[in-house]
Formats: sequence, structure tokens, C-alpha cells
Amino acid sequence: MIGTRRSERSDEAVARRHRPDYQIVLYMGLLMLLGLIIMYAIGPQRANVLNNAYGTDFYGSAYFFIKQTTSLFLALVAFVIAASLPYRFLLKHTGKILIAGFVACLALLFFGNILGVDAITQCTLGACRWFELGPLGSLQPAELLKFGMLLFAAVFLGTRAKQGLINDRTQTLIPLGAVTGLALLFVVVVQKDMGTGISLIALLVVMLYMAGLKYRWGLAIAGLLVLASIMMILIAPHRMERVMTFLSGDSTSIDDAGAYHITHAKIAIGTGGLAGVGIGNSVQATGYLPEAINDSVFAIMGETFGFVGLVAILALFTALLMRLLKVADHLADMRLKLLVAGVFGWVGAHVVLNVGAMTGLIPLTGITLPLLSFGGTSMVFVAAALGLAFQLSRYTVFGSKLKGNEYEDSRSRRRVGGPRNARRRRTS
Amino acid sequence: MELSLQKGSRSRILAGLLLLAIAIFIGRLFYLQIIQHEEYVKLAAAEQIKPLTIPAQRGEIYALDGNAPVPLVQNQPIYTLFADPAVVTEPDRVLTVVREVAGGNLRPKIDELLERKNTRYQILGTKLSRKQAELIKKENLSGIGFQEVSQRVYPEGKLAAQTLGFVNDEGVGQYGVESALNDRLVGHDGLLKSVTDVSGVPLTIGDKNINEPAKNGDNIVLTIDRNIQSYVERTLASKVKSLGADTGSVIVMNPQNGDIMAMANFPTFNPEKFNSVKNSALFNNNVISRPYEPGSVMKTFAMAIGLDKGVIQPNSTYINTDSIKVEDRVIQNLWRGETGKITMQTGLNYSLNTSVVTVAQLLGDGKNVDRKARDTIYNYLYDKFHLGQITGVELAGEQPGVIIPPTEVEGNAVRYSNMTFGQGMNLTMLQVAAGFCSLINGGTYHPPTVIAGTLSDGGIFTGAEEKGSQENVISPSSAKKIHSMIRKARKAFYAGNDIPGYDIGGKTGTSQTLKPEGGYNDDETIATYLGYGGNSTPKYVIMVETSGKDKYLEGNKHALPIFTDISNWLIEYLRIDPKG
Repeated sequence: MIGTRRSERSDEAVARRHRPDYQIVLYMGLLMLLGLIIMYAIGPQRANVLNNAYGTDFYGSAYFFIKQTTSLFLALVAFVIAASLPYRFLLKHTGKILIAGFVACLALLFFGNILGVDAITQCTLGACRWFELGPLGSLQPAELLKFGMLLFAAVFLGTRAKQGLINDRTQTLIPLGAVTGLALLFVVVVQKDMGTGISLIALLVVMLYMAGLKYRWGLAIAGLLVLASIMMILIAPHRMERVMTFLSGDSTSIDDAGAYHITHAKIAIGTGGLAGVGIGNSVQATGYLPEAINDSVFAIMGETFGFVGLVAILALFTALLMRLLKVADHLADMRLKLLVAGVFGWVGAHVVLNVGAMTGLIPLTGITLPLLSFGGTSMVFVAAALGLAFQLSRYTVFGSKLKGNEYEDSRSRRRVGGPRNARRRRTS
Repeated sequence: MELSLQKGSRSRILAGLLLLAIAIFIGRLFYLQIIQHEEYVKLAAAEQIKPLTIPAQRGEIYALDGNAPVPLVQNQPIYTLFADPAVVTEPDRVLTVVREVAGGNLRPKIDELLERKNTRYQILGTKLSRKQAELIKKENLSGIGFQEVSQRVYPEGKLAAQTLGFVNDEGVGQYGVESALNDRLVGHDGLLKSVTDVSGVPLTIGDKNINEPAKNGDNIVLTIDRNIQSYVERTLASKVKSLGADTGSVIVMNPQNGDIMAMANFPTFNPEKFNSVKNSALFNNNVISRPYEPGSVMKTFAMAIGLDKGVIQPNSTYINTDSIKVEDRVIQNLWRGETGKITMQTGLNYSLNTSVVTVAQLLGDGKNVDRKARDTIYNYLYDKFHLGQITGVELAGEQPGVIIPPTEVEGNAVRYSNMTFGQGMNLTMLQVAAGFCSLINGGTYHPPTVIAGTLSDGGIFTGAEEKGSQENVISPSSAKKIHSMIRKARKAFYAGNDIPGYDIGGKTGTSQTLKPEGGYNDDETIATYLGYGGNSTPKYVIMVETSGKDKYLEGNKHALPIFTDISNWLIEYLRIDPKG
């Protein structure tokens, strides 16, 4: 049997390498293209705003377009590497990648917060989030850490699940909690990056859920998270303000400073109407809407492309996420399944939290919209994660070959898998 | 590979959650973008569309130099220097540069203003010239800006200040032409409604932009002749002093059309420095805003009424006893001795009160200044010569004065007798001069005006509309007779210094002032002289008035010399040909 020759584990025996799922590339590519178009459209306005703010003419009208093109190129490189580098190799070195992430964060803490070396770190308001790499751009270690956590958790939880220990407190939950806690300490407490923290938690929650965590534990974790978020909100006045703004709903006015961001996001989306104001006609991007090219890019797209455009974007994200979910669902190796589930959780959390915030449905968290927002590091790592999922989409198997899924109803498995089993029997 | 989610798997639940979230988002987007669309468009417009006014240039004011307009009031851009302390990076260099370039224009303690880092707008200096502004701009100081404002400048200095008025710091015309014609001078500000970026810079986005150009104010050309005005002002200033008066006023009119050729008061003010004028009374143009009892100059009007009504002729005689009884009062002559049977002309020459009171009696039943006489006098003075009412000259602060009509108790025989020699009525010099014009121009009343027309920005002159003259206020033959009487009244005693060969006439007036507690003050009098000059047609009417606190000033001594001086100068300036 070819399957057994290629893999050392019996459950991978059926996972023959086959054609990958090109839909992932299609949706990712379309979204990246849209991001590039919007950068081309509002880049000049954005450059103008920054030039005015800093009294320079440093930012040319193509500055953001060129930067975004560079980021996309790097992201595609990362995608290709992640897609072609054998996953087994990657899984073997998850620990090293995670440690690299921690070391990078530690180095940032050391050089940025403690030494205050402005030349290589980028700090605002006491929070250092970026390494400054000169002409190479900047690097956000938290993204590397998040990527490391994704790989580590996939291997760790996948192994535990196979051992049937996923609900074991001492073997599984406490170690994972400890590592996660350490990662959150760096990301949320030191770097004050709530957005990355939330997306990290979201991807871990999705992985735990897919790994078959009992609902009892799920409730406990949910309770813990609620407590933690209440604490986080209480210690930071700006978060409190955001929650209050959220609670006041659509009745906020543009004169309310706290509601400024979300009100302008809604104005941008609302003025878009059915078909949008058209490329290059965004007024909110000329300085009214904060973070127009980063976190608020969805609102600017709403103004530019209208309802039709936003529904199309949401459709693309949904299609991409559904593909990820299906790939995860059809991977036999628990580690790989959880890895792709993590990617789903990652991208999904970003989309839901960003769009939810921009439309005023949930409080503002400061989270990017994957593949569309301006920003190199997050783009590169999302592309790498998707590249990994793309590679793993080569190893999906039909539902009938999935076994040992304790949450799965055996009756349904039999019914779905029936005819396939018959075919396998013939070939073997 | 077709993949479908495992039935009952947790991934199905995740997919369900995802699809639910997306469905909620799409519903929300439908609400925001389709249902609430108009609402958000309105909100956006309220914030993004900023109306910018394009200031209209205030009209300039011109005088005439012969027939050519010359500027009296122009606009000059000046600059307000301000700082945005939050953005100023080099406060020391800013201080050095602005102190060096515009030290005199700076506010006190600008170093402290620059330190107010939490403010965004501090005015450092005002009224910088374009050159100063450019010098500072060249230094490329961050956080320093200029605001252009327009300032009135006066190429001719103080010339005609009280006719012009000035523009206050809020840009509103005060006094004179600036106030009276403020609406025409300001024009209409243009409106530029444009979608702007967050810092207010207009964008070319959208179809909500409105561009309504500014309509500059009219450039007004005055009837004032700059040379006559200038001569009148200089003469008035020097003669008021040399004649021993405190103040004086002169108006020069063209009797053929009512144009005011010059109008001056002494003392006056400098409109460029209106802010430092302590006594705001200086802003008043006394020619139009200070009614007084003009005195004997009004005898010309009384004679004209008598002539026009046919009750007298210039050579009609009456018995002068140097006093005349009106009801319970006895009116005396100031000049005594010309008693006996004398002509009306003689009465006018010697300015005898008895002569004009006789005329008033003749207008009635011949013995009394009865209601008929009073009605006639009132009809002429008020309705025909437009005395005691606003003339409508295009200047702010004109006072109507007062003539009490015979319908009132106060309008009794004694008052109307007094009015024949210029007492018991309050008139402005402008009213008297304008009425006088109709006595010597053949009987046509021209409403007085200071506006000759407008000048387009391209320099094309358009004449002002005619104000509607009133012909035959007295008949041409009566006009001819009173014209002759006035000429002879001057010839009798006062023509010695006149340039020979011209028709020059006039009448003196000396009027007691009113005591605050009532009654006349015999120690303080106002001197007036009212006359005309020209050849076969009168070319100018000049009215002169001088006064001073506790000063006894007489028309023939303290006003007439000013008339004669200006009259002689005018004959040369206007190049009037001698009578044929």
C-alpha cells in the first residue's frame, strides 16, 4: 500500500498526496487584489493626511500602493514556502518556531521597553510592537509568536487528542494554559496589543473545540475569558469607553470623541449605499476615519464599493473560511486537522471581530482585516498560515476514512462512508 | 476533491456559527448602507462639506480731478501673523525672525504666547505688510501662518475725511459715504461649498461643490473735486485760525445740478488713524449733521418768496423805522439809520429785518403775518426749498433740522417773522446751500448729491442716476430778480476783492447762539456767508460758516473772507470765462 509506505502512522495511510485545494489560492488571491486596489485608491489621500500631520512631503501618492505590493510579494513568498516546505519538517520544529517567537518578543521588550533603542524598535505610548529593519520594513514579533503558538498547539493538542487526554487537566489544559498565558503576557500586557491577543485566544479556542474538548471545560474556559476581559476592560479606561460607545449603539454623534472612530466607520459604510462612491472618491479616507488603511479598511471599502462590494468581500471570506473548515474536517491526522482549524480560527476571528467592530455590532478591538489591511507582518504570517493549510489540503481524505473521532456519531459515519469503503476494498 | 462537512461534527457547528455571523453582518450592512444610507449621507455632508466664503473686495472711493476719477480710498492687503504653538518646533528662531522683521507689529509678550503648547492659535502680530509677511514666510518656520485681511488706505491722507467716513475693525463702514453706502461698497461675498478633507482643504470629489464667485463692492466716484476739496480744506484751516474762530465749515456746490464739489469742516480727523481719535464729534460732518439758525442769509429766501408771490419787486418801497411790531413783539434792525422810504434792495443790502418782516406781512393781509402768510412761507421753505428735512444726500448722519409748521401753536406770527431773517428754525448748511442754488439757477431745485457715478474694475465710468430735480420752485422771472438782488447785495459793500468781470453775489448772516437755559446769547454768534459765482450762468455756490466758543463772529468779517478767497480761486481753477 502506497499510503503505509509514505507515512509512519496508520491513520495517515489513507492520506495520499493529491491535488491541493486551489480554491484557497483563488479566494486569497482575490482578496489580496481587492486590498491592493483599495490601497491604490486611497493611498494618495492617506499620504496627504500624513504629510499634513507631519508637515513633510515624505509620503508620495504611490507610497502605500508600493508598500502594499511589496507586502503582497513577501506574503506570496511566505505562502509558497509554507505550501512547499514538507509539513512533517515543520511539525518537527514547532517548538523552535515558538521559542523564536518568544525570543523575538523578549528581545523587543529588552531593546524597546528597557533600553529604548529607537533605531531598531518602534514604540508608541510605551508599547513597543515592532522591530524596525530599515529598508526591509518592520517586523511584528507578536505575529511570529502567534504563528508559533498555532504550530505548537496543533502538535501538542493533536498528540494529546490521539492519546485521548484532551480533557486531562494536568497533561493538557494546564501546560497549554501556561504557554498561552506567557504568550498573552507578552502580547497583551507588554505590547498592549489586545487585537493580536484576542486572535490568539480565538484560534486556540477553535483548536480546543475541534480537538473534542468537553463542553464542561469549554464553559470553564469561557468563564475564565469573560473574567479576564472584564478585568482588562476595567483596568484600561479607553477600553471602557469603547464598551460604553458600543452600548450606546447607533445613537452616538460625531461630536463625541470616544465614539469618533466607530461613528466615522459607520458614516463611511453608510455613505457607500448600494454601489459605493467609486474608486478614488472616498472622503472618509482623507483623514476623517482613523486607521483608514489598516483596521478601518473594511469601512473605506464600504464607502468605495458599497453594499454590493462588501457582500462580495464577505462572500470571499466565507468561501475561504469554509474551505479551511472543510480541509480541517477531512484531515485524518489530528495534528494537521487542528492546525488548519487554527488557521480557520485565526482568519475567522479577525474577520468577525473587525467587521463586527466596523459595523458597530461589537466593541472596537483594533484588529486587522486579513489580506486587506495595510501591514506587512500580519499579511506575511496569514499568508504563511494559509500556505500551510493549502499544503495540507493535499492530504484530505473522504469522510469515511476518518475514524476515532469520539464526537462523531458512528451511524452517520457509516452512512456517509459506505460506498467509499466499497471502492477502497476493491483497490486494496 | 469535493469536500462536505461531516454530519454532526463540531466543524459543522463552527460553520454554522460563521454563517450566522456573516448573515448578521449582511443584515447589518443592508441596514447601514441601504436603509440608513440617506441618513449617513446627510451626516457625512454635514461634516465634510464646508462653506468657504470668498471675501468680496470692498469698493474703492474716488474723487474727481476735473473729469478724471482719482482714488481717495483704496484697499491694501495686510497680514495677521499667527502661530500654532503645538506645532512650533523652533520657538527661539521664530522669536528672532518675527522680532527682526515685524517688531513694531507684534503683540506684547509673544514668547509667552508661543509657550502655550496646548493652544492651536495665537495671534502674534497684526497689520504686517505684504513685504514683511513674505520675509517671514521665506524662513519656513513651522507652525507660523498668515491671514490676509484688507485694510483701507487713503492716498490723499485726511482729504475729505468727514465725507468719506471710515471702516471699523469689523469691516463696517462708519460715518460718511462708507456708512451710507456700506451695502453697495461691501458687495457680496462669494461662496465656495466644497467637500474638504479633515483639515479643511477642498477636495475635487463629489458633485456637491458650489462655486459662487464673489461680487466686489461698487467703486464709488464722488462729485467731490479733489483739488477744490484740498483748496477748501487748506483755506478753511488757515482762515479759521487767522480770523479768530475755533471751527468752521464750507460747502461748495454746483448750482446747475446739485453736485457737491467740496465739503469741509475744521477741525477734522485722519481716517487712517480713526482708532486714536479721542473726540468722536470729529467724525461728524457738520455741514449735514449740525442744524443751526442760519441768520440773515435766509433773507434771500424771504425776498424770493415775496418776488415769486408778486407782493414785492426789488425796487418796491416800504417805510423803515428800524423796528417793526409783530403782535406783542417789536423786531429791531441791527443796522440802524437807513430810515424812511427805502427799497427792498436797500433792505437786503443793509440786511434790515424790517424789510423781510414787511414781506411776510405783505404775504398776508399786508398788516399781519397771518395764517395765509405763514402757510405760504412754510410751503416755500419746506415743500419747495426742502428746508428742515433730510435732503437724501448719500452720507450718514444727516440731520433733518426743523421748521415748525403753521399748523402748530409754535408756528405763530412771531416765529414766522423771525424765520424771514433766519431765526426760529434749525437748518443744515447743506439744506440752505441746496435751496439757495434754486434761487440763482433759474428756479430749479436739484437734490444735493455726492455721488457722480461708479467706476468698473476695468476703469469704465458710469454716471449716477438723476435724482429727480424739481423745476419752477420759483418762476424764472422771480429767479432772475432774486439773482440780481443777491448780486447787488454783495456789490453794495463786499465786492472789493472780487475778480472783476464775473457775476458774484451773496449774503451775510450773523446768528446768535441759543443759551442752554433758553433765549439768545448775544456774546456768541455764528458767522455765515452764502453766495455764488460764475458768468452768465452761476458755476458755484459756496456757503461758509465759522463759530467759536464765546466768540462774537460776524458774517461779513469772519465768513465772507473765506468765501471771497475760495470764490476767486475757483474762477481760475474752473477756468470760467468772464461775462460777455
